[in-house]
Amino acid sequence: MPITYRLAKDFNVAANIIRAQVAPNQVGKLVVELSGDIDQLDEAMEWMRDQGIGVSLVSREILIDEEVCVHCGLCTGVCPTESLKLDSQTFQLTFNRSRCIVCEQCIPTCPVQAISTNL
Amino acid sequence: MRTIAEINDKICRGQAVVWTVEEAKAQAAERGVTAAAKLVDVVTTGTFEPMEASGAIINLGHTDPPIKIRECRLDGVLAYAGFGAVDLYLGASQVAEAGRLGDSLEGDELRDRGGGHVIADLIAGKSVQLRASGYVTDCYPRAALETTISRERINQFYLFNPRNLYQNFIVGVNGGDRPLFTYLGPLQPRLGNAVYSNLGELSPLLNDPDLQVIGIGSRIFLGGGVGYIAWEGTQHFPLQKRLPNRTPVGPAATVALIGDAKQMEPRWVRGCYFKSYGPSLMLGVGVPLPILNEAVLAYCAVRDADLVAPVVDFSIPRRVRPTFGLVSYAQLKSGQIAIEGRRVRTAPLASQYLSREVAIALKQKILAGGFELTVPVAPLPADRKFIPQDSWGAEIDVS
Ligand code: SF4
Ligand code: SF4
Repeated sequence: MPITYRLAKDFNVAANIIRAQVAPNQVGKLVVELSGDIDQLDEAMEWMRDQGIGVSLVSREILIDEEVCVHCGLCTGVCPTESLKLDSQTFQLTFNRSRCIVCEQCIPTCPVQAISTNL
Repeated sequence: MRTIAEINDKICRGQAVVWTVEEAKAQAAERGVTAAAKLVDVVTTGTFEPMEASGAIINLGHTDPPIKIRECRLDGVLAYAGFGAVDLYLGASQVAEAGRLGDSLEGDELRDRGGGHVIADLIAGKSVQLRASGYVTDCYPRAALETTISRERINQFYLFNPRNLYQNFIVGVNGGDRPLFTYLGPLQPRLGNAVYSNLGELSPLLNDPDLQVIGIGSRIFLGGGVGYIAWEGTQHFPLQKRLPNRTPVGPAATVALIGDAKQMEPRWVRGCYFKSYGPSLMLGVGVPLPILNEAVLAYCAVRDADLVAPVVDFSIPRRVRPTFGLVSYAQLKSGQIAIEGRRVRTAPLASQYLSREVAIALKQKILAGGFELTVPVAPLPADRKFIPQDSWGAEIDVS
C-alpha cells in the first residue's frame, strides 16, 4: 500500500488499516487509524489532499443493537467508565455515550453480540 | 387454605388472583403474609438466563429410501444420533465446526456459534442445513442425506433440558493475574469484576426452597410455550447447607425440563456465545407457585438481603475452588461488593428485565384462562447426595 508507506516514511505516521474497499479502476475507500506527532499528522493529511485523496475524519463509536440486547448486564461489569449501566428501576441497559472512551472491552463480553463499532 | 383443583376452577372462571413474585413481595411487606396469603391464588416467578445444560430432541421423520443416521450436523453443529434411526439430540453447548461431512459452511459462518444458535434459529422459523451419513443396512439402505430443515418440516422438535433453574449459584471472581474467559463471561484479573448468575429473590426455586409446591409433572412456562418439570436435574443437590429461611448458601436443587419447541417464541429462546468459552442457550423459564397456604407465601416473601451466594475464585481450576465467603444478593445487586477490603464491581449474567417480563407473561397467560396448574405426580428428591467425579459446583466450602 504505497500511501501507508509514504505516510510512514515521509511523516513518521503509522497507519492501521481498519477497512479497505479497493478495486481496480475504481475509486477506493480506506478507513485508517493514524498515529503520530500531531503536526506531522496535519502535514500528512495535507499531503494526501494534495494527491487528490478525499480525507474526512470520523471517530470510532460504540453501537448497541437494541433489537439484539437481552439486558443481561454482563457488559456493565467490564466498562471502566460506567458508561454502560442497568437502569435501577427497569433493569434495562443504558448507554451514556459522552462518558465512553471506546476502549471496546464491552464488545467481546456481550454474549449475544449486540455491541459493535461504527467502523 | 386452597387446593390446586380450586385454583384451577377459579382460573377457568376468570376469577383467580395472580401476582408476579415482585408484586407478592410488595404485598406481603405491606399487608403482612397472613392477610396477603388470603388474597392470592398463584404467584408467578420467571428467569431469563444462559442454560447450557439444555438441548433439543428432533425426530426428522423418515426419508425414502430410509436412513439410519450415523453422524449428523445441523449448520455445522454435531447432533447426537446414537438412538432411533432419525432421532437426534442437539446440545446447546455443542460447538459449530467444519466436519467430515463436507460442510459448505466455513470460517466466519461457523465462528462463535453452536447448538444454542441452531435451536434458536429453528424456533425463529429459519431454515437450517442438515448433512447426515447413514449406516447402510437392509432396513436402511440410504448412505447420505443432505437437506434443509425448518420447524414446520420436522416431525417432532422439543426441548429436553437435563439441568435448568439452578436453585442459587455462585459469584465468579478472578484472583489471578491474567484474564479468564469463563461460562460467567470474562473475569478480569486481580478481582477486576465479579459476575453473579442467579437473580436472588426473583429466582423461581429460591421462592419454594424445599420444593414443596413444585415437583415432577408441574406445568411451567418454557421459552414462551408450555413445558413440564420432567425429573430432578443433573447435579440436583438438595442437601446443600441452608440458612434458617431454608434457602441454600450455594448451588442446590435443579430440575430437568421438557416442552414442545414448536410452540416456543424467539423472544424467549436465544443463542449466545461466551468468548473463549463457547456457545450456550439463553432461555426464559417461568414457574407458577400455587399459594396453597400461608407458609407458601411466606417463602415467596424472601428478600435479596436474606439470600446469599459464595464468591468463588476461578483462578484456581480445581473442582473445589477457594471462596472469599458469602455475599448477599442485596449487596450483589447494589453494583459492588467488598472482597478482602477491596471494592469489586458486580454484574449480573441473567437478565433481570426479561426475567420480570417472563413472570408478567406467565401471569397474563394464567389470567387469560389459558394456563392451568398441575398437581405434581411425584416429589423431587430431597435427600440426593452429591457424588463428585470431575464435575464441580455443588460442593462449596463456606466455612
Ligand atoms: S467502549 Fe469501553 S468505555 Fe465505552 S461502553 Fe464499552 S467498555 Fe465502556
Ligand atoms: S452484554 Fe450485550 S446483551 Fe447483555 S446488557 Fe450488554 S449489550 Fe445487552
